Amino acid sequence: MAFKQVTSPHAHSAQNTAKVMQLVLLATVPGLIALTWQFGWGSFINIALASVTAVSCEAAIMRMRGRSVSFYLRDYSAVVTAVLLGLALPPLAPWWIVVVGTVFSIVVAKQLYGGLGYNPFNPAMIGYVVLLISFPIQMTTWITPLALLPLGTVHPGLIESLQIVFSGYTPADGVTGATPLDTFKHSSGLLADQIYAREPLFNQAMLAGAGWEWVNLGFLLGGLILLSQRIFTWHGPVGMLAALTLMSLIFWDGGSSSSPGSPLMHLFSGATMMGAFFILTDPVSSAVSNRGRLVFGALIGVLVYVIRAWGNYPDAVAFAVLLANFAAPFIDNYTLPRTYGHVDRRRATEKEDQS
Amino acid sequence: MSETQTTEIASSDAQASEISIAEIIKNGLWNNNPALVQLLGLCPLLAVTGSVVNALGLGLATLMVLIGSNTIVSLIRNHVSDAVRLPAFVVIIAAFVTCAELLMKAYTYELYQILGIFIPLIVTNCAILGRAEAFASKHHVGYAALDGLMMGLGFLLVLVMLGAIRELFGHGTLFASMQLLFGPDASNWVVQPFGDNYSFLIAILPPGAFLVTGLLIAGKNTIDAALKRRADANKERPVKGAKRIRTTGHIS
Amino acid sequence: MTLRSIGFNSAVLALFALVTSLILAITNDMTFERIAESERKAAERALLEIIPLERHDNDLLMDVHPVPEQYWAMLGLKKGGNIHIARDQGDPVAAIIPAVTQDGYSGAISMIIGINFDGTVAGVRVVEHRETPGLGDKIDLKKSDWILGFNGKSLLNPQQSDWKVKKEGGDFDQFTGATITPRAVVNQILKSLQYFENDRERLLTISAANAALEMEQAAQ
Repeated sequence: MAFKQVTSPHAHSAQNTAKVMQLVLLATVPGLIALTWQFGWGSFINIALASVTAVSCEAAIMRMRGRSVSFYLRDYSAVVTAVLLGLALPPLAPWWIVVVGTVFSIVVAKQLYGGLGYNPFNPAMIGYVVLLISFPIQMTTWITPLALLPLGTVHPGLIESLQIVFSGYTPADGVTGATPLDTFKHSSGLLADQIYAREPLFNQAMLAGAGWEWVNLGFLLGGLILLSQRIFTWHGPVGMLAALTLMSLIFWDGGSSSSPGSPLMHLFSGATMMGAFFILTDPVSSAVSNRGRLVFGALIGVLVYVIRAWGNYPDAVAFAVLLANFAAPFIDNYTLPRTYGHVDRRRATEKEDQS
Repeated sequence: MSETQTTEIASSDAQASEISIAEIIKNGLWNNNPALVQLLGLCPLLAVTGSVVNALGLGLATLMVLIGSNTIVSLIRNHVSDAVRLPAFVVIIAAFVTCAELLMKAYTYELYQILGIFIPLIVTNCAILGRAEAFASKHHVGYAALDGLMMGLGFLLVLVMLGAIRELFGHGTLFASMQLLFGPDASNWVVQPFGDNYSFLIAILPPGAFLVTGLLIAGKNTIDAALKRRADANKERPVKGAKRIRTTGHIS
Repeated sequence: MTLRSIGFNSAVLALFALVTSLILAITNDMTFERIAESERKAAERALLEIIPLERHDNDLLMDVHPVPEQYWAMLGLKKGGNIHIARDQGDPVAAIIPAVTQDGYSGAISMIIGINFDGTVAGVRVVEHRETPGLGDKIDLKKSDWILGFNGKSLLNPQQSDWKVKKEGGDFDQFTGATITPRAVVNQILKSLQYFENDRERLLTISAANAALEMEQAAQ
């Protein structure tokens, strides 16, 4: 009588890659709704455009590598990368921005390294950073949030948005503006209270900047759904958010003219929540063990704050995640979990038989 | 009589080194290219290839130093003991680099300012000491000089190609500011195939150097693989059908 | 035996050092004058771009005057700097003033500002900066001719309240996506103009003295 031979672990999970990816896609919906409500149809178009590009690139590369195209497309990982990039890009960015970024994400950052599971860096963030350093003007032009639109104007409708994206005509001046992090950083010489009183971006908001706080709340909600579904553990996000809070508390100094901003602003502005729940939780490019993820998340939190406060760019989630990706193997080396049946934790570099 | 003797000596020398002129040329330019295969001298390769003129300037300086050092090293190869060989080589290379630096300072001052520290740093380019040690110190002076020329050319070509690709995709120009090297007449050599406003900064910034270098290496490997496949296909195929195999007696 | 080989090797190395230093000495000697000439030209080029040769006849590199210490803060200088004065047949034409602003997006922006003795800007060049590529680096003439927009401006043109970027209600363009860098440059140029206004008389006296000296030398 022959038994089927299976290696351990013998436990089965109901999740496969495609299911996990589908859940992640679903969980971005609250954030997408918030983005569309506050900034118009731009993010929607970004996502659609990025998805089409990503799937075509993935299929083309798979064909070139002689692999089954349908098998690899069915795991949805290319679509997830595209959606995350589309969400991160400024709404109503010209179409070629989205296309160039997505091509870089899929072809260079993912497939050239060997495809899903082999990429040392988060593909969506590589695409974002390439765009940010190459086209700083387009990448820092953000749509004015709903609450701040001049009286009587609305965001362009879907048809008009498509025209803006594809024809390259830029929307009127009142429709674009700086982000809260940008505004805060540029208003040096003013007390935090004065900035909050002067800038409508802050005085029309409840927490951390009109529009942006809703987007962050949306991603927080989506992240909590994923957490409750055990798609990832709490360690990474908590590590990052705790470190960011701690850093901003230490350096807040009550809002003097040189303060880098309040903890609330740092938590609910920019890409904080999206980064915490959707970017650094990427299982491929993050640290592996729970302790490792805590350290990995904390490192990102610290880096985000350092670059935001004293760096050259107003937001820093993408840079911080990529730098932490570099460090992930190193973190893994020192945070190997205790193997079942062994007393002590081992380091990855230790020889097996030293007893 | 004496003439035949010298040719005999020369040919015996060549035989001793077991390398042909064609092989030296092929090694320098392709098979053993210092930049793409040996991956030597990557620091200047990555740092100064933002434009064709920078790449050309540094490539020419390296080429000059490489030819000079290879020649001299080969000339003295039988007169220096092992103990002082490396220090002597370093002295020779350093002297050539300093000469190149002075000459560039005198004749292409602006380019010298742009390339800055990377000219004196040619001293540390492993390709140069590597060739002195691995080739020039073992071969006849003619071969050594040719090897220097070919290795230098191989390095120069990769530099210029990197510079051209990065300049073209980063700035949308080609051959900009060539007057720094070729005098005022060269200022209108610049080509702008994508129009005035094109710019894709990542190609010019440091990450672009790594990306383009990686793609060039990948391109070379692809070509090599294709050549190998074709060569394999052209090899004699075993004849189909039954063959008689001798199974007794000596096989030697 | 060992001692002997050490001696021989040292002699060989010494010989090498000698020969190579000889080669270097010869090259140095051959290129010395040309290098000095090239260096002078390079130093002069930026100055000549602001005040071309048609407008003056003295050697700008020779006419150097340190900035008085009380004005260092106004010009943003930490270690002081030199002012060049251009003259045409003894009459003062313009002064080229070094200035640095720390208010850029990343680090110091150092520039030289040419100011005609009638108080108008002759030209501004950014000498060194570390602004973001693609955004703030348009202050560099290599990237954009924005900096030429200051030519001919003065403390009265535009009004002092309009020495700001357009976004803040002033007279000068900002770049798309970058306000901080142009604002810093505009402010520093304004401050330099004010410095010139304060120090103008002293510079005129120096210039007159130097002109007299030159005349004397020419007469000899």
